[in-house]
Amino acid sequence: MPPKEPLRIGVYLRDRGGTLSRWCDLDVAARTFAKSKQIAQWEVREDWLNPEGQAAIQDAIQSGRVNRLLFVGRFTASEDEDIRGLAASAGLNPHLVDFCVPEEQGIRGGDDARDLNTKRVIALFAMALARARLLQPLEPVELPAVDAALVVGGGMAGLNAAMVLAQTGKQVYLVEKSATLGGRVAQLHRYYPRMCDPRCGLEFLVRRLRDSARAEVLTLATLEELRGSPGDYHAVVVQRPRFVSEARCTACGECLRICPATVPSSNGEGERKAIHPTGSLSVGQAFIVEREHCPPGCRLCEPACPYAAINLDQTPAHHSLKVGALIVATGWDPYPLDQVEEYGYGRLPGVVSNLEMEKLLALRRFARGNGHGRTGGGPLSVGFIQCAGSRDQRHLSYCSGVCCSVTLKQILALKEQAPDARCVVFYMDIRASGTDELLYQRVQNLTDVIFVKSNPATIRPEDGTGRLRVRVEDTLSGKEVALDFDLLVLAGGLIPSAGTLEVSDRLGLPREELGFLESHLQCQPWESQRTGIYTCGTCRGPMNVSQSVESANSAVIQSLRLLGSTVQVQPPYPVLDRTKCDKCKRCTEECPFAAYAFDEQGFPVPDLAKCRQCGICQGSCPMVVLSLGNHTARQLSAQVEALSERAPVKGQPLMVALLCENDAAHAAVGAARLGLDPPPNAFFLTVPCAGAINNATIADALSCGIDGVLVGGCRDGQCHYVRGNELVRKRSSDLAEKLRKMRMDEARIRFEAIEVNDARRYRDLLHEYVAELTRLGPNPFRV
Amino acid sequence: MAAKLPQSLADVPTELVETDLLIIGGGNAGCFVAIEAKEKQPDLWVTIMEKAHIKRSGATAAGMDAINTYISKSESPESLVRWSRSQVGGLIREDLALSNARVLNQAVESLDAWGLPILRDENGEYKRRGRWDISIHGEQLKPIMAERAQAAGAQVFNRVVATNLLIQDGRCVGAMGFGVRDSKFYVFRAKATVVSTGGACGLYRSPTNDATSSHHQTWMNPFNVGSGYAIGIRAGAEMTSLEQRWVAARTKDFCGPVDTVSVAYGCPIINCKGEEIMSARYAHLGGDKAPRYLRANAPMEEWLAGRAPTYIDTTKLSDENAKAMKTDLLNERPSFVLFLAARGQNITEEPVEIYGSDPYIVGGHTGSGFWVDLDRMSLVPGLFAAGEAAGGTPNKFVGGCAAEGMLAARGAIKYLEAANLPALDKVQVEAEKARVFAPALRGAEFDGVTPLEMEERMQRLMDEYAGGIAQFYRMNEERLDYALKHIGILKDQVQYMYARDLHELMQAHEVIDRLDVAEVLIHHLKFRKETRWTGWQTRMDYPEVDPKLDCFVESRRDRETGEVRVFTRPYEQIVPGDRMKP
Amino acid sequence: MPPRVDKKLCDSCKAQQEPLCEQICPGDLMTLGQDGKAYCRSARDCWDCMSCTKACPVGAIETRVPYQIGYHVAKLIPLMGTDTITWTCIDLQGNVERFRYRNRGEAEAF
Repeated sequence: MPPKEPLRIGVYLRDRGGTLSRWCDLDVAARTFAKSKQIAQWEVREDWLNPEGQAAIQDAIQSGRVNRLLFVGRFTASEDEDIRGLAASAGLNPHLVDFCVPEEQGIRGGDDARDLNTKRVIALFAMALARARLLQPLEPVELPAVDAALVVGGGMAGLNAAMVLAQTGKQVYLVEKSATLGGRVAQLHRYYPRMCDPRCGLEFLVRRLRDSARAEVLTLATLEELRGSPGDYHAVVVQRPRFVSEARCTACGECLRICPATVPSSNGEGERKAIHPTGSLSVGQAFIVEREHCPPGCRLCEPACPYAAINLDQTPAHHSLKVGALIVATGWDPYPLDQVEEYGYGRLPGVVSNLEMEKLLALRRFARGNGHGRTGGGPLSVGFIQCAGSRDQRHLSYCSGVCCSVTLKQILALKEQAPDARCVVFYMDIRASGTDELLYQRVQNLTDVIFVKSNPATIRPEDGTGRLRVRVEDTLSGKEVALDFDLLVLAGGLIPSAGTLEVSDRLGLPREELGFLESHLQCQPWESQRTGIYTCGTCRGPMNVSQSVESANSAVIQSLRLLGSTVQVQPPYPVLDRTKCDKCKRCTEECPFAAYAFDEQGFPVPDLAKCRQCGICQGSCPMVVLSLGNHTARQLSAQVEALSERAPVKGQPLMVALLCENDAAHAAVGAARLGLDPPPNAFFLTVPCAGAINNATIADALSCGIDGVLVGGCRDGQCHYVRGNELVRKRSSDLAEKLRKMRMDEARIRFEAIEVNDARRYRDLLHEYVAELTRLGPNPFRV
Repeated sequence: MAAKLPQSLADVPTELVETDLLIIGGGNAGCFVAIEAKEKQPDLWVTIMEKAHIKRSGATAAGMDAINTYISKSESPESLVRWSRSQVGGLIREDLALSNARVLNQAVESLDAWGLPILRDENGEYKRRGRWDISIHGEQLKPIMAERAQAAGAQVFNRVVATNLLIQDGRCVGAMGFGVRDSKFYVFRAKATVVSTGGACGLYRSPTNDATSSHHQTWMNPFNVGSGYAIGIRAGAEMTSLEQRWVAARTKDFCGPVDTVSVAYGCPIINCKGEEIMSARYAHLGGDKAPRYLRANAPMEEWLAGRAPTYIDTTKLSDENAKAMKTDLLNERPSFVLFLAARGQNITEEPVEIYGSDPYIVGGHTGSGFWVDLDRMSLVPGLFAAGEAAGGTPNKFVGGCAAEGMLAARGAIKYLEAANLPALDKVQVEAEKARVFAPALRGAEFDGVTPLEMEERMQRLMDEYAGGIAQFYRMNEERLDYALKHIGILKDQVQYMYARDLHELMQAHEVIDRLDVAEVLIHHLKFRKETRWTGWQTRMDYPEVDPKLDCFVESRRDRETGEVRVFTRPYEQIVPGDRMKP
Repeated sequence: MPPRVDKKLCDSCKAQQEPLCEQICPGDLMTLGQDGKAYCRSARDCWDCMSCTKACPVGAIETRVPYQIGYHVAKLIPLMGTDTITWTCIDLQGNVERFRYRNRGEAEAF
């Protein structure tokens, strides 16, 4: 078997302004490692990024003198990139270049610290070399991608997303389960604050999509199945039959005359036949047959159509679509207000929801002569009850944020139709934020509009008058008031739609505690917890129309990286050693992003397009067979073991902190930059996520004599990878249990939630931990 | 979790697997067969049939602390053969031993390359613990070999028990068995088959056997029951030297390894009076370097003479060496350290008590097993053996079994190039399927005997009548005949054995296989009417060495009649010198 | 009485196909009981190889020697590192002894 190529590490120190050599004795450090056969070169320069330095690097690589590089000193992120790029152009894989920053470990400072700094820097070099020895030449992976996207949901957010995608030149499929587009916004009377008709904007969107060669709109359609990977999904969409041919129907209306079935109005719109047109917010002009409303066996319309456009035997169509990303925009449903029993919704006539009020306004019911006048004459009296079923532990605990502005808008619209209408708003707080405050002021200044700060206690019909009596205690005046109304509008909140829940179940998209689709607001703002599936609009949470449109645009921008001909996955990514894997499936379970699937032999296979490179799988594996490139458990263990042999100060506890690079490590670096020195025997190492720490590494640390291991991760709910911190806590508590049985102090493993700005707290924590370890005494494994 | 027992034979699916090379038993030797075969011929289809899980199956389940044969610079294959020969009364297959010795170091060095930590001395050479032994930290020995076999591309069937070979036209064309988790009947068709199932443990009762928690306090892995020998015997293969049983000095009660360790650390065997018995009584036979059977028998003699208990004297060990010895033991039988702790025993204050072990049939330690040629093929064409299953080469241990695996792979590849498989013999397959599942299909009302009951009865029978430890290994013709008769009855009684789940079905077959091995073993013991290796075989009626028996004792069982024929083969010396001297 | 399973710690390997102890036991002795927790179906058949004890990811398994040969109670606890194993032995009197050694060297790539 051919021998492995020997390691030839070049250790290149950057001594800018002579600071590093002032802080520690670099000659002593050099001598300490002089005997190592694996170090081919050890050189100190003022700067490695000037032309001479760069030439030296290139020459060393090209001459074969070095095959690994370790840079010591402080480098900015872009200098880091430049150096790797330089190495790559000279022929060395950029992942075989590593960096070691003494300053970050608090190795800086005046002459009296020089001796200690030297010892510390030697320990640090030993760790860095241990890691450098195990560096692998990682390569990016190219995965196939498709230049198309699928938008699920044809409401405001979905239509916007589809249009923007088409505009950017991507093929887009829009899937909408009903026969018409526009969703809930199509049911609105006006937008606030401009008070324009939403149909105007919606029709514009629909027309743009219809006319676009790149957009295909499928109504009566649902997403049945999604297979494949981000960038390369295969979606199966099933389209329910329309029973009317889109090519042949001319909308002549002959069928309407013959159709015996009427469908009762569900939203005050009046009746329609079982066969009917779908209106302007639909694809094409063809009618649709709602077969479930037809009398059994009735086929009268079929022969009646002069164009033979009706086919009652039409079967569902299956569409097989290749797409790179999904954008879910499945919207909201109104909270079922009949649950709020005391308000009598569904029981008392005259109690309507705010959504139904939109319909009444759209039908101009309040204009004189249109039917919603007051019995017995006189001005119409309308009450608005805010927070109906919201901010209430019995119903929706949260505030939907839009209902106050909606009520204000509805009052304006109502007053436009019935100028002398009297309006009372029952409220707890009016939450018209931002410029909506102006809307509030406008409405307050209208005549016959009063605001009563109270939650109505009872609503009863008044016998004989047909009106509703509301009893309420006005909290501002303290008096009990009884008011009579012709109409009561309940300003109800927004809940995730049934369609949202369906899609969430079908695609395995996690929901947060209120039921909306979960994402990670700061770190992956528009992506769900399943890579490649983006969310926008109210399926994410209550929002108004303009927020919905903005979110659609943002989701589209995020999705663009997956829409192309290939998806490039940069290292690090996990690699599985099958020969050691015993298929326990813990990696699959612990991955927060469901990035693992099983092959025919039952081995877990990471989908690199879904992977978010956190390394939680590596941390979970009891056999340590998963390696996240150049962030491996074996590297961490080697570093920790190297440290165990070189405690800078004898007789003091030796501790290592394993910190997540997103939060906790920043606190450590911050502490160093602020000059808050760590205890002399304390060092930190970074991991992509605290969840990437494997118990075997902690076991190695403790068994080789490290006195204490501090694991630093995020606070609950803040982990960039959802729950890496919780997972490492659970695993290390199992390990702590074992330590207890081994007569080792459980305190030798400690988990702390450390935030980015916790520099001072971090420093204090280290000193406190060292004090505790001192009390515990040395690790019994110390030889 | 195990599938339920089938309701009827018709419910049992048959899984047919076609392969080039079938390896029965994925242990030390078995893994090396696979690795070598795939290296020599990468496109060969290699299948391992393993009744447990190859990661931790077999004798090296817990690990190993030493590789007990490695040829250092000052030795040679010939010197190894000379030494090995002297340890077994001068009777080994010198041709096999030489061929094994020539590949031995390569096998060991492979393990080194695969990440097995081999201890080194100041010069960077393998650290010697004895003349032939080198020290390793082998806790991961088995996983390393198993992973390598998998990485090499071997197809592994874990939890599939081999029950019989597939024999057609007088040659071996594969094997059959059942899945102990999936309840399927498996038929493997292969151009060449290697049997590497390890040795036979549990033919005899273990001395600490009790009813509650102690039944498998044996030195050898108790799950190695000699199935390889059994299926070979049933197929009509020739067995050699089964009477050369392996009995060794072992820690008393725990029955853990101690022999090589004690020699390595210079701890002599002492009796309760403090006498160093090997130098006191066996100086003329080599003293502390006396052959293994003498070292095994020595404690027994002390017990019989009233000078018990016997020990290895660990009280003179330095603390450092005591710790090193325990580290070694943690690598091979970690629970021995637990055993010491459970007695509150500090070995530098209280010496480690030893005794003989129960007898095992292990061709990696003595010469018992399949009679094979230089290609490791038995007399049944297409049937190969390697490791403890293969006879003729005692003192192989880990390194030699690995080397033999390599040799068997080469032999098998040579053979299968010209091998053609006949059409599957469906009659044989159906008959075997019925035989395999019979104990599981007796029905709920069946009035019979459990495998455990039969096993215990057999073990006591062998212990008392065929030279077990309760009898200080002593036997005579009449007792052997008695044992033979009752083994015969037990074999007939197999028809009353029933199993209540798949695990018990496996145990049922373990009993059946042991009975077949025991029967042939007793024939061997009867035939060799001499005492050449006291302890391994102590014939009270023939206490001396008989020069006419300076040859191999062989056996073959007739496939049709079941009659066991015992005969001899002459000894062939290749390496010159006194065969009794190392 | 060889392997004892701490039912509080055992999570039946999250009820996957086969818990790791069952997968590895050379004697086919470890399995899941009716309560979904691992147990040894026949204590007397155990060979104390300790494969189950090493394999358990949550450290729920403890090996003991049978009372026939050793008193109550001593402990031997393996701790698996990435390429080392650490043993802690606690005897009848509570004396603690610890061992640590490398069990995997660098392997050349296949």
